[in-house]
Amino acid sequence: MKTAIYDWVDERLSLTDVLKLARKKTVPVHAHSFWYYWGGITLFLFLLQALTGVLLLLYYRPGSEAYESVRQITFQMQFGWLIRSAHAWSANLLVLSIFVHMFSVFFMKAYRKPREFGWFSGMALLVFAVLFGFSGYLLPMDELSFFATKVGLQMCTTIPAIGKSMADLIRGGPDVNEFTVQRFFALHVVVLPALFIPLLGFHLWLVQKHGNALPASEQAKPPEKRRSIPFFPNFLAKDLAMWLIALNVVALMASMFPWTLGKPADGLSPAPAGIHPEWYFMPAFEALKILGKIAPGAAGEAVGMLLFNAALLLWVVIPFYDGATAAGQRGRRAHYLGIGAVGALAVLTVAGYWGIH
Amino acid sequence: MNYPFWVVPIVGSGWIIGMIAIFHIMISHFAVGGGFYLPLAERKALREGRSDWLRTLRGHSKFFLILTGVFGAVSGAGIWFSIGLTHPEATSALIHNFVFGWAIEWVFFMIELSTAAVYYYTWDRIDSDLHVKVGWLYAGSSILTLVIINGILAFMLTPGEPWLAVAGTGQEATRFWQAFFNPTYFPSLFLRIAVCTSLAGIWALVTTSRIDGDAEPALKTQMVRWSVKWLLPSFMLMPLLLGWYLWTVPESQRALLSLGVSTIGSGMFTQVTRAALVIVMASATIVGVAYFFAYRNPREFTLAHALSVLFLALLATGSAEYSRELLRKPYVVGRYMFVNGTRVRSVDTLNQSGYLGHTLWMRTDLPLQTSQGEAMFRGQCMSCHTVDGYRSIKRLLGGRNRAAISNFLKTLHDCKPDSPYKRFMPPLVGTPEEIASLGDYLSATFVPNPSIRTLQ
Repeated sequence: MKTAIYDWVDERLSLTDVLKLARKKTVPVHAHSFWYYWGGITLFLFLLQALTGVLLLLYYRPGSEAYESVRQITFQMQFGWLIRSAHAWSANLLVLSIFVHMFSVFFMKAYRKPREFGWFSGMALLVFAVLFGFSGYLLPMDELSFFATKVGLQMCTTIPAIGKSMADLIRGGPDVNEFTVQRFFALHVVVLPALFIPLLGFHLWLVQKHGNALPASEQAKPPEKRRSIPFFPNFLAKDLAMWLIALNVVALMASMFPWTLGKPADGLSPAPAGIHPEWYFMPAFEALKILGKIAPGAAGEAVGMLLFNAALLLWVVIPFYDGATAAGQRGRRAHYLGIGAVGALAVLTVAGYWGIH
Repeated sequence: MNYPFWVVPIVGSGWIIGMIAIFHIMISHFAVGGGFYLPLAERKALREGRSDWLRTLRGHSKFFLILTGVFGAVSGAGIWFSIGLTHPEATSALIHNFVFGWAIEWVFFMIELSTAAVYYYTWDRIDSDLHVKVGWLYAGSSILTLVIINGILAFMLTPGEPWLAVAGTGQEATRFWQAFFNPTYFPSLFLRIAVCTSLAGIWALVTTSRIDGDAEPALKTQMVRWSVKWLLPSFMLMPLLLGWYLWTVPESQRALLSLGVSTIGSGMFTQVTRAALVIVMASATIVGVAYFFAYRNPREFTLAHALSVLFLALLATGSAEYSRELLRKPYVVGRYMFVNGTRVRSVDTLNQSGYLGHTLWMRTDLPLQTSQGEAMFRGQCMSCHTVDGYRSIKRLLGGRNRAAISNFLKTLHDCKPDSPYKRFMPPLVGTPEEIASLGDYLSATFVPNPSIRTLQ
């Protein structure tokens, strides 16, 4: 019976060919293999986002009822708090795993020829993920999310010339209010997924096409000394185990540290002390704050924004100025740039939180 | 009254017991399950003439001896020290009821520790049949330690009507057997035996994962698979046993579990549900990892994999013990003694004659009002609350002004049936004057804003 069903499907979809391909595909095994799992973990967390997001969609009501609906989800619906907490925790872990994935790709120099498009699409996915975070953060419309979004959009106004109009367009007016929630909701559940999912497909196809990149230390070895395992079933089983671990981490965090809900947002009340953006915006927030102190005023803000974007651009276009070199050459300047970037992000994040507390 | 000088900052005194106890349970349950694993595996190896199995088992028995004989025994004694310091009232109540139970327990401990040592040191020195018999003697004595301690642990949740009928009369010991074989005794025993067999398999995976799969593929495959089999039956039975256990738990305590389904409420009140979710999640993962990694790919099963499974088992066991403790709230001994050491039957007396009437713990270097408030706080709140850390009193009081604190203390004192705190917190006992001192003390010590500290 099982064979008959398999044969029926196989005849139409050529499953055997897919399996043959999966068995032929190999994944390198070396001292840095651990970093290969982070792309898979990121994908899993995204799937979890989609699943929990759809479940939240069943009860969430954007607009003026946003807060009340999240209150119901958190305090009245059976296991509503768990789904919401799992969504919030997996969102944060997703951004974290993207960063880990990005830096592991960077230090393995996996952006070099022929994988440039993998890097560019990955960077675009990071931007979308951050936008997902920003738009989703406002949706509960509690005090904290309201003021954090207000501060975040304030940063947007510092962009010369178009900043203010852009912020107004995003907010749906001069203030953050129920129209902003409506817009952010549309962005969060329709626009961003519509852009993100095809791009993710493209990214995964590229990974499939080019396979895993080898770090310089492995490339230096003669091919007969390199080890590898079949993708199917060996690597896939390990990948799935990593997914299981990620699921456990999400479940543990969501159960033990459930996401709570603050007071309803009130635009007339003063902002609570120590208001700050989410942790992944903290380095940018802190950098702009420091630059604002060095050069106060609108011009200073504009320069800060410009510098910040220039640094980002420098990071994105790295495949163009750190191209493939002879095998075994590590590309030291890029390596130092990567270490500098990790250091800067860490220092700015710590400084940001230090300033608050 | 518990010792008010025993103040553990940040984690609180309860977690001192908790941390030692969870560590101990991971080992002591292995000591019971592993006690059956060793002679059964040895018997199988002897029958099948597998000398390579015997060599591995010898190594495993050394690991077993060190883990159970050193870490298990030391942490077991650690529980005694910690409960004696943290809950002297409850410890005293238990000793008065179960002194002979514990005496029997220690006899079995002695046999257990001695036979574990004899088993390890007599490999190849005595006849193999006799060696297996030593293993069985160990297994028998170790399960008997569980049979006894389970009675005392289950008693704390459900002492049972016969014992409660005589509690406080001095006749408690006459109901020893009823108290021992209390309503949750058997489900709890079988649940623990299931955990013991699982832990026997999980710890055995730690040693068998270290067999070189390239050098001895057949040995590694067989031993890893045989160890995995120890996990599966108990995990399959676990849902049934858990259901049986919960069915015997009083409805009032079971309600604590359902509270967290629909709300996170004020956080800590739903911890038992949230911890239960972690148990389910971690247990399901253990089954998945054990099957796909160990059973399906035994040769590639590494120490890191085994340690991950062990970590998940620690998570599941820790959450299970934590849930069990929380299920007992607001009592330390069900319907007899509250978590802060106040006996249920003393509540009225203490309200009339005062909580601090007989205490020796009042400080004399402070104004009377302050020392009264402090003694009330340390005696009645600090069993569960810390100042800055776990269940922080500062955080919980938040920005409440003096009047709000008074109202809150009144709610706790009245302990009416519809009070949301009744399910988790003991009633606050004492005269109105003592309670006012506590309110002043809390307000002056833990409320940051001085302008709202006075009672208007």
